[in-house]
Amino acid sequence: MKKLIKKTTLADRLLLLILLAVSVSGIFVVRQAMPASADVVVEIDGRPAFSAPLSEDRLITLQSSCGPIEVEIRGSRVRIKDAHCPNKLCMKEGWVSKGVIVCLPGKVVVFADTRGKTRKNNLDAVTG
Amino acid sequence: MQLQDKRRIAVLSAYALVLHGFEAVLPMPVPWLRLGLANIITLVALLLYDFKTAMAVTLIRVTLASMFTGTFLGPSFIMSLGGGITSTAAVGVVHAVFRNLFGPVGLSLVGALFHTLAQLFLAWLLFVQRAAPILIIGPFILLIGTVTGVVNGMITGLLMRKLSAEETDNSGSNRLPGT
Repeated sequence: MKKLIKKTTLADRLLLLILLAVSVSGIFVVRQAMPASADVVVEIDGRPAFSAPLSEDRLITLQSSCGPIEVEIRGSRVRIKDAHCPNKLCMKEGWVSKGVIVCLPGKVVVFADTRGKTRKNNLDAVTG
Repeated sequence: MQLQDKRRIAVLSAYALVLHGFEAVLPMPVPWLRLGLANIITLVALLLYDFKTAMAVTLIRVTLASMFTGTFLGPSFIMSLGGGITSTAAVGVVHAVFRNLFGPVGLSLVGALFHTLAQLFLAWLLFVQRAAPILIIGPFILLIGTVTGVVNGMITGLLMRKLSAEETDNSGSNRLPGT
């Protein structure tokens, strides 16, 4: 074994070190960078109003056409905590970890972990 | 092509195929993980003879192995072929340009690196077409490839020393058993 290690050239060892460093640091760099891709996007009246990673807990208040709407992110899930629309269907939707919550009167759409897809390129169906 | 060359390629390919088959029998924690033992033969072919021999052995090994396992022209064959051609070509170029800079271990690492890159590219092209999964899995595959690359390189180094010792014993008449 010792002989084997002695037989390697300096370039061999350097290359090994570089490859190990690149791959190990790559694992951590990617892990750091990736959670941000699973995130929450809130659209109000068709325009993106807010976005945040799903991994960070927070409570935010946004202004919609029917009053303030409270969006809560906790434990990688999102819900609409409070809304001032008549039926409060969006609040009854509860916690969502992957999918969409819609508040029709307020024209608010909350996308959770839809990986960059918005409804512009994610149509369910098109009818003539 | 000389008859001697053909026989040499045939014997080396047979060795590579046996290692390729043997590898499939070994239990692995992840199904698609391979040790790449057959690449030892590719390296030996390059170091003992020339690039042409190494490439011929790789092509024959990948093609025949896929025919034996029934995956010829399937996606795994394309992945295997792409990885094989790219890594053999890269090792050949590095060996030709930097003649004495890298030993067997370094060459094996170059092969492992380019094998990984080629397979990740092919996986992106054929299967996922999204950068995120490739980026997530890439460093892991590179790490595994580096470890197996070092092991293969060391085995190649051992084999080369054994073969060159045998060569001096037999005054060069028998470079590789069977050739």
